[in-house]
Amino acid sequence: MGKTLFEKIWDAHIVVETENSPSLIYIDRHLVHEVTSPQAFDGLRMNNRSVRRPDLTIATMDHNVPTNNRSLPILDQTSAVQIQTLEKNCKDFGIQLFDINSPNQGIVHVIGPQLGITLPGSTIVCGDSHTSTHGAFGALAFGIGTSEVEHVLASQTLWLEKPKPFEIRVEGKRKNPHAVTAKDIILSIIKNIGTSGGNGTVIEYKGEGISDLSMEQRMTICNMSIEAGARAGLIAPDEKTFEYLRGRKYTPKNYESLVDYWRDNLKTDSDAKFEKNYTLHVDNIAPQVSWGTNPGMTCDITESVPFPEDFSKGDQNQKKGAEKALEYMALKPGTPITEIKIDRVFIGSCTNARLEDLIEASTVVKGRKLSSHVRAMVVPGSQMVKKQAEELGLDKIFTDANFEWREAGCSMCLGMNPDILSPGERCASTSNRNFEGRQGTGGRTHLVSPVMAAAAAIEGHFVDVREMDLN
Amino acid sequence: MKGNVIKYERDNIDTDVIIPGQYLKVHDYAELALHAMEGLDPAFHSKVKEGDFILSGRNFGCGSSREHAPIALSHSGIKAVLALSFARIFYRNAVDGAFLLPIEIEEDAYSNISEGDELDIDIRINEIKNLTKNKTYKMKPFSEIIGKIIEAGGLFKYKPD
Repeated sequence: MGKTLFEKIWDAHIVVETENSPSLIYIDRHLVHEVTSPQAFDGLRMNNRSVRRPDLTIATMDHNVPTNNRSLPILDQTSAVQIQTLEKNCKDFGIQLFDINSPNQGIVHVIGPQLGITLPGSTIVCGDSHTSTHGAFGALAFGIGTSEVEHVLASQTLWLEKPKPFEIRVEGKRKNPHAVTAKDIILSIIKNIGTSGGNGTVIEYKGEGISDLSMEQRMTICNMSIEAGARAGLIAPDEKTFEYLRGRKYTPKNYESLVDYWRDNLKTDSDAKFEKNYTLHVDNIAPQVSWGTNPGMTCDITESVPFPEDFSKGDQNQKKGAEKALEYMALKPGTPITEIKIDRVFIGSCTNARLEDLIEASTVVKGRKLSSHVRAMVVPGSQMVKKQAEELGLDKIFTDANFEWREAGCSMCLGMNPDILSPGERCASTSNRNFEGRQGTGGRTHLVSPVMAAAAAIEGHFVDVREMDLN
Repeated sequence: MKGNVIKYERDNIDTDVIIPGQYLKVHDYAELALHAMEGLDPAFHSKVKEGDFILSGRNFGCGSSREHAPIALSHSGIKAVLALSFARIFYRNAVDGAFLLPIEIEEDAYSNISEGDELDIDIRINEIKNLTKNKTYKMKPFSEIIGKIIEAGGLFKYKPD
């Protein structure tokens, strides 16, 4: 019987495997950031261990970094300490670091692909759940905790249970691909399969609706695989993948011969078997807006806030969850989504802060002004994205419309730096999680695409971006 | 292992409510414990006792990879989380650092066990005794690797056969 792409990558990285036992898997690339690594480095020191492969380990700082003026000192002392600790750890253990002043600094999942560190067929880990992003390149990439970070630093391997392969087919053509985006595809998938629908699996996304997407859009899809509970998301590499990585800073010298190998080998065999299957047809999907406190609580822009009993379909826990979510979100069932007013807009995060995301958002913003009661922030995913965007004049489009144009980092996705919501504030956010308090204590998050966030910023409430003229 | 139950009757308890992002800069475990479950239940810290268990629904620990989540619970006194299912990273973090036991239970245990019930959990025979209600439930056995890491006392103490 044939193998899935996931199984091929897994098998190629087995160091030790015996029947009925966990597998020791080799890790090709280890990405490190300041939040989940300090205790791991402390552990190495306590046990007199070194970093096994500093050459395969790359670090940056993204979660804590302020996104305003970088020439000023960091006011939050605990953030400053965490950043300084990473600097010291990288120096002590010989790890390459893109620090706060580096032109390569940025969200770890944005810079990996941009620098050509992310490669097809490789295994990539990071102490960060959104490591699944790199699966867009046909890499097996997943988030790990700090104990596992220490294990990889020390040994370049991990003891793992083998996940099961899950095929998600995305079929059809989107009618309006500028208004109905990759974000709407992945939110639709999570809405349908649920936040634990992918538990214990590695999802492979296939079909016309996926091959149509650019690399940056594919990253948005794989990024949110974790929100469906999956270990990782994968897309088989194709010519778009190979073209994207060609000639980047760390792209290997023997790249073309690697491409020949990848082209022949990195695909699921036609007779391979998946444990689970799901198909989404995208011909008629609408822009998505989350209304609740997990990414599965999402509906079409044309719908209304659901009644808990309709949402739960008889499941008591789901019903209670929806009631609690509506209370937290201060929403009444039956309210049209387009009548929900917003206070803040966040365009950023490892889900949607790449150049294409900012270009798409700018087509909505150009020539218009931010709604007078809304504060909006654009936070590029990396300093490279920021520079490229500025070369295209996007910063001017946003600032002319009264949006704030910021330095790169995770920013308001998770409320670790000063960019947070105040209690009760409602935000249209291009990030990945609408959990209670995620963007700041008492903050209310609605997950949307960059164009939908931009449209809400202009109008002051959610609108169907399909009905707007895009520049 | 005996303890009393704190029950959260809901699914998808995420790591952002277990330990909100602003505390990920805190390295002192005792201080982290002060903020455990703060996003969901600000009274948690005042009611939790050493040796308590948390009981919850599906997909416990979904979200971020922060190991701070099981650390905060463990240093609050929580010895085990009983849930219908777990998110994978939380599950492995709990076991890898030997912070607490993530125990998968069936619907009968979930619906029958109430807040405050005293349980006696025996992972050698995969059994949960409810001493308050005089009932016994099965827990799902740990997989081979998880069992071995738990037995060893954490990932760094685990040595393959």
